Amino acid sequence: MVRTDYGQPGSISSPAGPPSGHGRRLTFRQWIRRHRVAPYLLLLPSLALIAALVLWPTAQIGTLSFQNYGLPQLAGAAPSTWIGFSNYSQILHDPEFWLSLRLSVISAAIMVPLTLTVGTLVGLLLARLGRKMAAFVSSVAVLAWATPTVSASIIFVWLATPDGGVLDWLLTKLPHWLGGGAHWVGFSWTNAALPAYTLVTLLVVWTGFPFIAVSVLAGLRTIPSELHESARVDGAGGWRIFWQVTYPLLRPIFQLLFLLSVIWDFAVFTQVYIIIGGLGQRDEYNLGIYEYATAFQLPPAYGLASAAAFILTIVLLIITVGYVRASVKEGALT
Amino acid sequence: MGLRKTPAALVAFGTAAALAIAGCSSSSSSTGTSTSSSSSAPAELTVWRMGGSVPSEVTWMNGVVTQFHQDFPQYAHTKVNVVWVPWTSRTTDWDTALSSGKNAPDITELGNTDTPTEASLGVLASVSSYVNSWSGKPGIVTGMLANDTQNGSIYGVPWFGGVRGVWYRTDQFAKAGITSAPTTWAELVTDAQKLMKTFPGTYGIDAITDDSNAFASFIWGAGGQIATESNGTWTADLTTPADETAIKYYVSLYRTDHLSPSKYIGQTELGNTGSTAGGANTDFGLGKLDMYIDGPWASAQMPANSVDKSNWASFPIPSENGPTPAPVFAGGSDLGIFKSSKYPQASWDLISVMDNLTNSTSFANLQGFFPPYSSQLTSGPYTANKFLSGFAAAAANSQIAPLNAKNWPTADTGKYFILNDMLKSLMNGAPFASTVAQANAQLQAVLNTGAES
Repeated sequence: MVRTDYGQPGSISSPAGPPSGHGRRLTFRQWIRRHRVAPYLLLLPSLALIAALVLWPTAQIGTLSFQNYGLPQLAGAAPSTWIGFSNYSQILHDPEFWLSLRLSVISAAIMVPLTLTVGTLVGLLLARLGRKMAAFVSSVAVLAWATPTVSASIIFVWLATPDGGVLDWLLTKLPHWLGGGAHWVGFSWTNAALPAYTLVTLLVVWTGFPFIAVSVLAGLRTIPSELHESARVDGAGGWRIFWQVTYPLLRPIFQLLFLLSVIWDFAVFTQVYIIIGGLGQRDEYNLGIYEYATAFQLPPAYGLASAAAFILTIVLLIITVGYVRASVKEGALT
Repeated sequence: MGLRKTPAALVAFGTAAALAIAGCSSSSSSTGTSTSSSSSAPAELTVWRMGGSVPSEVTWMNGVVTQFHQDFPQYAHTKVNVVWVPWTSRTTDWDTALSSGKNAPDITELGNTDTPTEASLGVLASVSSYVNSWSGKPGIVTGMLANDTQNGSIYGVPWFGGVRGVWYRTDQFAKAGITSAPTTWAELVTDAQKLMKTFPGTYGIDAITDDSNAFASFIWGAGGQIATESNGTWTADLTTPADETAIKYYVSLYRTDHLSPSKYIGQTELGNTGSTAGGANTDFGLGKLDMYIDGPWASAQMPANSVDKSNWASFPIPSENGPTPAPVFAGGSDLGIFKSSKYPQASWDLISVMDNLTNSTSFANLQGFFPPYSSQLTSGPYTANKFLSGFAAAAANSQIAPLNAKNWPTADTGKYFILNDMLKSLMNGAPFASTVAQANAQLQAVLNTGAES
C-alpha cells in the first residue's frame, strides 16, 4: 500500500518515460522521485496550516496548563509561575468537572446515534423519492443545517419558553395517554439539566441530520442498482437489504460520519450556552461550558482551564486515534 | 506500516485538539495596557454603564456631558461614549477588556459588591488623590466610601444606593381584602394565597433562585448570617438553625405553597441569566405576578405596557416573626477608573460631574435610587412617596457583609453560584441537610481562599 501511494504522484509527473534514460545529472524532479518526497511536499501546506491553527495553540495551552496563569499574569502585574501538575490535580478533584464530563458523554451518547439514525432514514427516503420531491425535501432539510447556530438556538428557546411557547402549548394539547396535559402549562425547559439537554438534543439532531442524510444519499448513488435488485429478487426485505447490502458498502461513509458526529456533538457549546442562558447554571454545564467558565468567570484561571482543555484533548485523542486506526485496519478510511 | 500511523494519529490529534480548544476560545496575549497619565485632552472617553439602555438615563447622561464640556473647556471636543454592559457579563467583560487591551472603558460603573474584588484584581486605578481633594467627599455617606477603600487606597466613589423591598399593587391588595402589608413570613404566605385566589392564574410571589442580594434578607430576617468574619477568617453559617429555617421557608414558597412557578428556578429577578426582561419583573409588570421582590430601580426596566403603574407600592421584606422588617442588603453602584485608561484625569473630571450632589440626586430621583449624600437621605422626599416609602423604611435597617467580601463575587456570581445552586437544587427536590451542608462548606472555602479546595 505504501509503495503504491508513493508511486502515484511520480508516475503522473513524468509521463515521458523512464527517468534514467536521459543520462543527465539528477534533476530536481528526479531527486524528488528518487527520495520519494513528493507526498511530503504535497502535505506541507496543510501541515503548515494545521500547525499554525491547531498545534501551536495546543502547545500554548499545554504550557499554560502547567502555570499559575490568571488575570494578574495576563495583565503583567505578576509573573506566571510553573506549578507542575497542580492544575491537573485540581481539575480532576473538582466534582463539577466530573459532572460536566458526565453530561457531555451522556448527551453525545444520545445525540450521535439519534442524528445518525434520523439522517440515514432521511437519506434512504431521499434515494427513493422522485426528482422533484427529493429536491424539495433535501432543500428543506439543508435549510435546517444552514441555519446559523445562534439563530437556531434562539428559535428553540422561544419555542420552549414557559410564557406561551409553542412547545408547552402543544404538550398541553396532547392526549393524556401520550403524556400531555395541564401539567405542561408554564413548564420550564431550562431550570434543570434533563429538560435543558432534551431541548439541546432536539436542536442538535435537527441541525445535524441533513448533513448525514446528504452524505448517505451521495453514498447510495454510488451503489449499482443491480445489487439492490438482485437482493430483492432473492426475497430480501428492506431491513435485510440495508444491513446486508447498503450498510457494508457504505461502511466507510458511516464510519467517517460517526467520527465527525462524535467530535461535533461532544463539542456542542453555542447551543448549550444559549439554551441554559449563560453561565448561571452550574448543574447544567457540559465540558465546553465548564472550560469556558473556568477560564473566564471570576476570578479568571486560564491555566486551570488550559489543564481542563488538555485533559479533554488527551481523552479525545485516545478515542480518535483508536478509532481511526481501527478504521484504517478495516480499510475504511484509505 | 509504521508510517501509516503518522497521518492517522495526526488527523486524530488535530481534530481532538480542535474540539478541545473550541470549548475555550483562546485568549489574546498582548496586554499593552500601561497606565500613562497624559494631560492632553482625550478625543473620546468611554463609560461603561451596567444594565440595558434606558432612554431617561441616556437623556440624563447627555445633560451631564454638556455640563462636563462647559465646566472643563479643555475637554470641549471630547466625545463621551456610553456602552451598556449586562450585569451578568460584567466581570467577563472587565477581564476581557483588561487582558486584551481593546475596547476598554475609561470609566466603569460597578456594583458596590464588585469594587473590592475588582480593585484587588487590578482592574481599577486608585482614585485616592482625586477623591481626597474632591469637594463632594465630605458629604458622601462614610460607610459607602469605606466599602471602596482598600489598604488605604480608594478605588471608586459611590454613585447611588438602593435597597430591595416587595412590590405590590394597592388595588390588588384592596380587592383581596388585605388591609395592611404583611410583616411576618406567615402573613406573607397568607397574603400571597389570598391574592392568587382573588386573581386566578397569577403567581403570589417570586421565589427566584438567582438573586442572593434579595435572598440575604430572608437569612437575616430569621436572625441568621450568611457568613461571619473573625480575624480575617470567614465562617459560613448556612447550617445554623436560623439559616436553615430561612432556607426551608424560601424553598417552601415554591415547593409546598406553590406561590412561585417552576420557571423562576434558575432565573434572576429579570429572567434568564443575562436578560433584562422576561422574568419575574415582566410578569409583575403585566399583572401575572402579585408580589415582586426587587429595588425601586427595576421600574426602569418594567415592560412599557405594564398594567396599573399608578397603584404600585412597596413594603419591606418581612422578618420571620415581625414586626421589624428584615435587614436589607445595601446595594448600589460605584464609579471607578479603569486601570488601562490613558486619561485618568479627564475620567475623574467626568466622574466629578456625574457624581456631584445635584446630578447624583437627579439621577437617583429619576430612577428611584438613593443618592450617596447623607444630607439627601435624612431629609429626602422618599418617605412621603407611596412607591418609595417601603424601600425607605427598609433602608433604615441595612447590611452589606458578607456581600462585600473580597471573594463574594466569586462565590456568588463568578465561578461559583453557591446560594443560587443550593436553592435551585432544593427546589428541584435535592435532600435538604446534605445540600445545605455542601453549600456551606463550599461557601466557607471560597470566601477564605477564592476557590473550592
